[in-house]
Amino acid sequence: MRFELNDDQRELREFVRAFLERHAGPEAVRAAALDGDGFAREAWERLTGEMELTALAIDPERGGAGASFVEVGIALEELGRTLLPVPYLPTVVAAAALAGAPEAGELLERIAGGAAAAVALDGDGIEARAGAGGLLVSGTASYVIDAPHAELFVCAARLDGEPTPVALRRGEGVEVEPLMTLDATRRQGELRLDGAPALRLAAPGEGEAALGRARDLLSVGLAVEAVGAAARIFEVTLDYLRERVQFGRPIGTFQALKHRCADLAAGLEAARSTAYYAAWAADGAPEELPVLGPLARAVCNDAFLKVAAEAIQMHGGIGFTWEHDAHLYFKRAKSTELLGGGSRAWRRLAAERAGILG
Amino acid sequence: MDLRHTPEDERFREEVREWLAENLTGELAELPPGTGGPGREHEALELRKEWERRLGAGGWIGIGLPKEHGGRGATLMQQVIFAEEYARAGAPGRVNHMGENLLAPTLVAFGTEEQRKRFLPGILRGEELWCQGYSEPGAGSDLASVRTRAELRGDRWVINGQKVWTSLAEHADWCFAVVRTEPGSERHRGLSYLLVPMKQPGVEIRPITQITGTSEFSEVFFEDAETDADNVVGEPGEGWRVAMGTLGFERGVATLAQQIGFERELRETIAAARESGAIERPEVADRLIDAWVELRAMRYQAMRTLGGQDPVAASISKLLWGPWHQRLGELAVDVRGAAATVTGPDYELDAAQGLFLFSRADTIYAGSNEVQRNIISERMLGLPRG
Repeated sequence: MRFELNDDQRELREFVRAFLERHAGPEAVRAAALDGDGFAREAWERLTGEMELTALAIDPERGGAGASFVEVGIALEELGRTLLPVPYLPTVVAAAALAGAPEAGELLERIAGGAAAAVALDGDGIEARAGAGGLLVSGTASYVIDAPHAELFVCAARLDGEPTPVALRRGEGVEVEPLMTLDATRRQGELRLDGAPALRLAAPGEGEAALGRARDLLSVGLAVEAVGAAARIFEVTLDYLRERVQFGRPIGTFQALKHRCADLAAGLEAARSTAYYAAWAADGAPEELPVLGPLARAVCNDAFLKVAAEAIQMHGGIGFTWEHDAHLYFKRAKSTELLGGGSRAWRRLAAERAGILG
Repeated sequence: MDLRHTPEDERFREEVREWLAENLTGELAELPPGTGGPGREHEALELRKEWERRLGAGGWIGIGLPKEHGGRGATLMQQVIFAEEYARAGAPGRVNHMGENLLAPTLVAFGTEEQRKRFLPGILRGEELWCQGYSEPGAGSDLASVRTRAELRGDRWVINGQKVWTSLAEHADWCFAVVRTEPGSERHRGLSYLLVPMKQPGVEIRPITQITGTSEFSEVFFEDAETDADNVVGEPGEGWRVAMGTLGFERGVATLAQQIGFERELRETIAAARESGAIERPEVADRLIDAWVELRAMRYQAMRTLGGQDPVAASISKLLWGPWHQRLGELAVDVRGAAATVTGPDYELDAAQGLFLFSRADTIYAGSNEVQRNIISERMLGLPRG
């Protein structure tokens, strides 16, 4: 049993981190999230172009690099540290959903080539019906993260009464209303479909399982991303505790703060282990994924929310300002929780799937 | 990352299972799971001493020690597998944890060849039991404050002072103790790591009755107690380094094994909640679910840090499991309701009551959680000392 990353994986982490430090510093994030339209386009083009990060999760025969979700998780964790507004997570989840469909080759190639995707996997507001040239989908999906910048969409649609994953591209019959969001680093859109042509991504009888896997991958991705984000704002906070002097000494010498930091560290370490295990299990033990998806999401989001909330408190007044980044992390943590039904619901779901209470 | 077991590990697991199935029989097999575990070390002692000798005869003590010192040279993963299978089989708590897991690796790392030859076989055969003499009335979390002293008179160390919170002291043949051997020395300097026979007139043992009404721990008084001049591990004055080295041997095997016991306690609590009907209350169901979720996270944490060199990992682990175990203890009595308020006629506690009360100690012993927080915040997080 080896839990540590191999040399290639460590190299990937260094590579992504070095790139993000150069091109996705706090100023670039704020420019895109707070002053722009919530999409760091230039960084996205380089991440998907020269860095080939979206190709990571795609089969080599379909234009990708054929890596596992561990590698994708490394990229997600690093992106999570920065809160860079790019639609990497929904795009790799869409790629995973497309991987099962033989006819999705062209869509996968587009993703490998840098096209952004959004996913709408919850809710039952979309209906699909057979049309002349294939499926046509109509309906509405709300709170779709990264939808305003997406060229492709993977949605849960109801087809002959059965939940079915479908893929469609931006075009006729597809309308996205961009929304400003509490967490400005991750914008949302309302997706309105009116007879849009779509591709079915699962055979009859297999739709629910395919959607389940996509949702669980999204959860694992959010878990890894949360660990990265929590680690970063924790580092910023620890730096501040070492530097900020009050009563003639660095405030980091006070046990009232030290002990809270130790508790945060313990929660964050456990979350990190859970996220890494889940990222490994996505390909290494897929039978565990239905339990691990919601479990990891709950554990990691809870740890993130605690760290981000404490980051504001430990920074004191400056932590309450728009100018400081602490609020960006706090809002990311809470919004991510609210979007998926909440930690309590994920814990119950994980326990139900594991049959814990019988 | 590759988290699957190797075929060799699976074969090892089979071997352990078979041996346990063949040997854990008769009265031993009748013992309820958890017998003799933490907080219950007074239970079925004679039977467990006999079991320790049987384990020794089978070559299952100190399996992680190198072969030349009488172990099996088992890998860390094999040690975990043994501990997991041991716990799964419901085998009773071990009587010589101190000798096997703390002293034996210390002798391998710091002892002389003569000391290893003299003391390792007794541990590995399950015949000589050890206790630990660290804590004192004035040296709890602050171990460097020990005042028990020893002076060399001819070829004998003569020891005077008091140790406290010594597990199974009245059953131990020997004690490894940290004592002050340089008069007037302070803190970490001037301490030595001595091996002291317990069965001698200068050693008096007084059991401590805990909040459970039972006694796992004792006070140990040394009044001109003696040991051979050779029975010092490392150089005289180097006791702190040796004792701290001992703590470093815990690299996560025991944590993973401990979690098997936690899983059993959680299962029993869920079963009790079902029986009492408390599980129907959403608040109780959520607390049970939280306990399960957090235990999973602790397991992944223990897997990730297994065998690592970072000493702070043990502090993180303790911050996670201590409070978790206390909450489980609270749940264990909560799900039973009023029924948990009645004991046996002589204050005999059931497993839930024992768990509820004994787990109060989990955040105190082996370095209180406040001390662990200091260690984490200074050594891992780089916050300045006050």
